[in-house]
Amino acid sequence: MTVTQASPGTTRDALAGLIPVSIITGFLGSGKTTLVNRLLKRPEMNRVAVIVNELGEIGIDNELVQVSSEQMMLLNNGCLCCVLRGDLQETLRDLFIKRRNGEIIDFDRVVIETTGLADPAPVMQTLLTDALLLDQYRLDCVVTLVDSVNAPGQLKQFTEPVKQVALADRLVITKSDLIGEKQLAALEQRLKEINPRAPAKVALNGEIDPAFLVDVGLRRTNARLEEVERWLGTDEGHGDGHSHAHRHDEAVQTFVLRFEKPMSWTVFTQCMDVLTALRGPDLLRVKGLVSVEGKSGPMVVQGVQHLFHPPLELAAWPSPDHGTRLVFITRDISRQTVADLFAAIGAMTAGKAA
Amino acid sequence: MAVEGTLRPGGGAAQLALNMKLIAHHELAGFGGVGEGINMQKTRDGRRILWMAHESAPKNFTGVDVTDPRNPKLIVQTDLPHNDVRSNSLDVVGDIMAVAYQTKKWGLKPAGMDLFDISKPEQPKLISHFDTSGPHSRGAHCVFFVDGEYVHLTSGSPDFEPTHEKDDQFYRIIDVRNPSKPTEVGRWWYPGTRKGDSAPPPPRHPKFDGGYRPHNTNVYPQKPNRAYVGYIDGGAWILDISDKSKPKPVGHLQYSPPYNGFTHTVLPLIERGYLVISDECVRDNGEDWPKLTWVVDARVESNLVPVATLPLPSADAFIKRGGRYGSHNLHENLPGPCSFRSETLIFGTFFNGGVRAYDLTNPLQPKEVGYFVPAAPKLAPKGSAQINDVWVDENRLVYAVDRFGGGLYTLETSF
Repeated sequence: MTVTQASPGTTRDALAGLIPVSIITGFLGSGKTTLVNRLLKRPEMNRVAVIVNELGEIGIDNELVQVSSEQMMLLNNGCLCCVLRGDLQETLRDLFIKRRNGEIIDFDRVVIETTGLADPAPVMQTLLTDALLLDQYRLDCVVTLVDSVNAPGQLKQFTEPVKQVALADRLVITKSDLIGEKQLAALEQRLKEINPRAPAKVALNGEIDPAFLVDVGLRRTNARLEEVERWLGTDEGHGDGHSHAHRHDEAVQTFVLRFEKPMSWTVFTQCMDVLTALRGPDLLRVKGLVSVEGKSGPMVVQGVQHLFHPPLELAAWPSPDHGTRLVFITRDISRQTVADLFAAIGAMTAGKAA
Repeated sequence: MAVEGTLRPGGGAAQLALNMKLIAHHELAGFGGVGEGINMQKTRDGRRILWMAHESAPKNFTGVDVTDPRNPKLIVQTDLPHNDVRSNSLDVVGDIMAVAYQTKKWGLKPAGMDLFDISKPEQPKLISHFDTSGPHSRGAHCVFFVDGEYVHLTSGSPDFEPTHEKDDQFYRIIDVRNPSKPTEVGRWWYPGTRKGDSAPPPPRHPKFDGGYRPHNTNVYPQKPNRAYVGYIDGGAWILDISDKSKPKPVGHLQYSPPYNGFTHTVLPLIERGYLVISDECVRDNGEDWPKLTWVVDARVESNLVPVATLPLPSADAFIKRGGRYGSHNLHENLPGPCSFRSETLIFGTFFNGGVRAYDLTNPLQPKEVGYFVPAAPKLAPKGSAQINDVWVDENRLVYAVDRFGGGLYTLETSF
């Protein structure tokens, strides 16, 4: 009798079993609570744990509330709402332990509603780097709401809204009924300048198709091409970093680096080490696939400022395109600077090897 | 974060799940109490039959056609001759099924093992009965049969008089190459458990005297010269069986006391040199907690070193659900055309803790990757599900069974 050896099907997929986390951010009054309330009323969103910052601020519809305790409540659609008073890490750990002990619902998604003034980066970093959370959760999507009445001014006046837009995977434009078509077009153009890779949609009164906001992050290591493209946002024409020469505000930049040849993992990590050490705060977000010498599938990398998720290897390349592609969203770091760094470190390492 | 009460509809006996989805549930015609023998037959006409031995009388075994896993169909269910015998354990190789029989009291019959021809699964045909009854025997508790040639049996014998009545079963190797005439070719027992042994009888467990008997006696075709034996209060043993007539101990791990005994299954991860060893929880309401599943470094067989246990949710939370809570059976990586085999993904059952899956890629730090705890079955005597055994097929569908009335749960995994 022959016995088969352990094959890929007999090992765990490092991504597939993780609970997706969506971060809903946006400036004060941009409609985050309205959006969350609407989403929770959708039948497919009936097992969500919502984490909000302040009970006073959230205004989860009274009609949704079934049982309340000091800091957690069960909503009558089956969802759970809890208030973040202390540490997000602790709350996420606690939620998972309580789920496992059967004390709360078997939630299958977490939605974190940040305060309007919040910088989403630390929230994202929590998910990318906390060893306990990495075993249970994955960052699925950063949704930034943009209030079309106030955003044009806020984007000029404050840095937080710009960063919220820059870090987003999805942009949701609210209150567009209060402005004209021209103003809306101008706002859309402005958002595209800041973050050309994040698709934007208009939502009135929080009405939006949940499909736009979920399953954005990679869900499994044998991801299909469309899943990788959805995550990287490569399906539009503004990603090469050259089409924005006309921009009047060059502070936030989005560009893609491509390398056709596989590189050594050492070169990649050294480049990232140098970048994070020297320009960490300005390296807003990095995500992409790296073709590493000797690996059959690409390495998935994602980072927020100076912190990176542990690298993951995909089971296979999702398409014949086996080139490294890295999306950078930076503040005042140009494409040329990063490309030069890769070239220099690549050359040094090649010299060493020779 | 303080929470009063449970924040979930259905309260404390509700279903819990992570990365395991129920795709079918079969109550086995009202006899949903299954023991710890599950195996799948692939019939000559391509059907997939899941065979299950019952936990207790009146039913003997049940065959369910799971060719369409979402639509299981019961095709045969057999009866025991009386209520003082149980089958509990079975295994299938090709068209032959071995079933164990253990009596409630010493000296009763039938005690031992049956071999059935299941080439027509609807009509199992008895090939032979291997009688192990005797004045000091309760017959056989467990069969391990995967190569079509030898059954590794946990059983008493008419010629075996134990030094303590609970130590009546021992490890027997039965040649079934001629299935109509099973013959013992070798045996091994814990030194001191048989009258006349030169070794003194082993000390009883001070708190829970479970006895010195083997439970599972696993032997794999990749390593045919080794038997991996859980010996209840006698710990875990590795036996060299290159000469089947003279099994020789080469490794032993005893961790009870201080732990609470009842070593059950010793599952080797043969390529990696680790063992996964489960204890059985045998008392309700947390009385014998903790009953754990251990990860043991066995790279040097003569020096077995526990390096981790499979992480379990809070005992406080689960003990309250009622019945037993703690380790029991493992999916055993059996050979055979339909069985799942992995050196890193381990499935175990934990009574009211349901069926749980672990990733042992890092053996020092096992990770729980999925679980399914059914809601309390109708009329559940303990007020909770008591998941007893698990078997996983090559498509990673999980078949979990309840000890009392819950029957068969078929689960899809997503990790």
